[in-house]
Amino acid sequence: DMSSFRKALKSRQRNHQERSQPEFRKHLGLLEKKKDYKKRADDYHKKQNTLLALRKKALEKNPDEFYYHMINSQLKDGAHVSKKGKKEEETEVTEEQKKVMTTQDIKYVEMKRLAEVKKIERLKGSLHLLDVVSKKKNKHTFFVDSKKEVQSFDLSDHLNTVPELVDRVYNRPTVDTLSKAHVLGAVQPCLSKERMHEYMRLSQRIDREKKLFVISQKLQMRQDLQDRNKKIKVKKETTNAPAIYKFETKRKR
Amino acid sequence: MRPGFSPRGGRGRGGFGDRGGRGGFGDRGGRGGFRGRGGFRSPEGGGFRGRGGGRGTPRGRGGRGGRGGFGAGRKVLVEPHRHEGVFICRGKEDALVTKNMVVGESVYGEKRMSVEEGETKIEYRAWNPFRSKLAAAILGGVDQIHIKPGAKVMYLGAASGTTVSHVSDIVGPEGLVYAVEFSHRSGRDLLNVAKKRTNIIPIIEDARHPHKYRMLVGMVDVIFADVAQPDQTRIVALNAHNFLKNGGHFVISIKANCIDSTAAPEAVFASEVKKMTAENMKPQEQLTLEPYERDHAVVVGIYRPPPKQKK
Repeated sequence: DMSSFRKALKSRQRNHQERSQPEFRKHLGLLEKKKDYKKRADDYHKKQNTLLALRKKALEKNPDEFYYHMINSQLKDGAHVSKKGKKEEETEVTEEQKKVMTTQDIKYVEMKRLAEVKKIERLKGSLHLLDVVSKKKNKHTFFVDSKKEVQSFDLSDHLNTVPELVDRVYNRPTVDTLSKAHVLGAVQPCLSKERMHEYMRLSQRIDREKKLFVISQKLQMRQDLQDRNKKIKVKKETTNAPAIYKFETKRKR
Repeated sequence: MRPGFSPRGGRGRGGFGDRGGRGGFGDRGGRGGFRGRGGFRSPEGGGFRGRGGGRGTPRGRGGRGGRGGFGAGRKVLVEPHRHEGVFICRGKEDALVTKNMVVGESVYGEKRMSVEEGETKIEYRAWNPFRSKLAAAILGGVDQIHIKPGAKVMYLGAASGTTVSHVSDIVGPEGLVYAVEFSHRSGRDLLNVAKKRTNIIPIIEDARHPHKYRMLVGMVDVIFADVAQPDQTRIVALNAHNFLKNGGHFVISIKANCIDSTAAPEAVFASEVKKMTAENMKPQEQLTLEPYERDHAVVVGIYRPPPKQKK
């Protein structure tokens, strides 16, 4: 019947696809669509209207009018601050509550950090830094019997491989293997691109893990400072390390 | 990427970019049955063919074949390594691998990659050099490991059997691995590995007393040791005197901190090499394990070398 024909027709038509931001305008963020614009415009007008209303209110203000805030606030160092009533003080968080709150924060950050650590481990499991030139190079020593052998030492001969492969440390197939099996030369560019992407993800995760570690350490330090023990600051806090304090040793009973 | 914690955050509309349709059943990722079945060909011809992406959700990179699955054989490229039985896998991964003896099973949660060669399907297991000294030595370019298909290997300090499982992959069904571990706790894991792999003989004994397991072990071609004890050279020598054939080889991983934590690593390695020479073990090469391990070295050598013939 007709409906199945219509369905079949649909299989022929192109899928509708949203236009995305072109590569050269990527720095501007996602491409704005009508619904995005609508949100932005509504927000803008709401703010404008609020400003307008406030301005109007200020213009129409009666300078002789009484407000309670006049007696509940005072000037401190040129700034307007409200006086604290007794009720407000009561509602403030207690020391105990503060501690619990920071503990929870620390736990959350630690949880996130451990998740990162696990993901890093998994990525490292199949990314073995084959081509990567590391800062600290390893050292390969061969022991030979005489000085003569030292003088006539040739690495590619000793390893039974071809001179071109000597620098390819992760795999230097022997002459035998080279004659028997096929060894890959340059690898497909699309694959190496994907691999680069994976390495990038790994390095991003490592960075993130480091940052989280710093955060959790700083939080921990802040919590430790809430104790009323005697302490001396040994080192100032830096961007990537908490301050170091020396606490007075106290025997716990 | 912004410092936000959500790893997907920065990706926005790309959606499941990294999912890529694992297992990839060719046309499954696409649009049901219509495409390519003959009936209704899309007029644009190849317009979309590359993309498995369905309707609706734009899927960033589209459904690429993913790993392993069918039609995705090219995703993983495997080249034979210098050392027989070891391979290098270069695809999205960048990994040292061995051929999996027990297909379909991971030993310690390592990644598996299967490659189709004609009819047969071969499965490889990633061998993590950050966890295994032997793997680190192989990627560091060690000349010889002497562990090859058919070899009889004694492995001292087998721990949970993670590296042992790869050694078992290398030596294959013709070879043998005597895996010695003292700790009962990790010995339990070792036993589980040995259950699935018939070429592993687990021995839960102190390697300092080889006479306790002399009835189990025959002569071996190579001893690998990763025991991290101050007297490890003596331990290896004891076992070599008992079980290693003349002209057999040893591979010892040395952790400088475990021998002497105050001395410089270089000095520690040198003194260990000296100790070996005194025990009739002739070192042939030494390799440090950066960037995978710090202050570690692997020493490879020959036991009771045959006398040199004069020309």
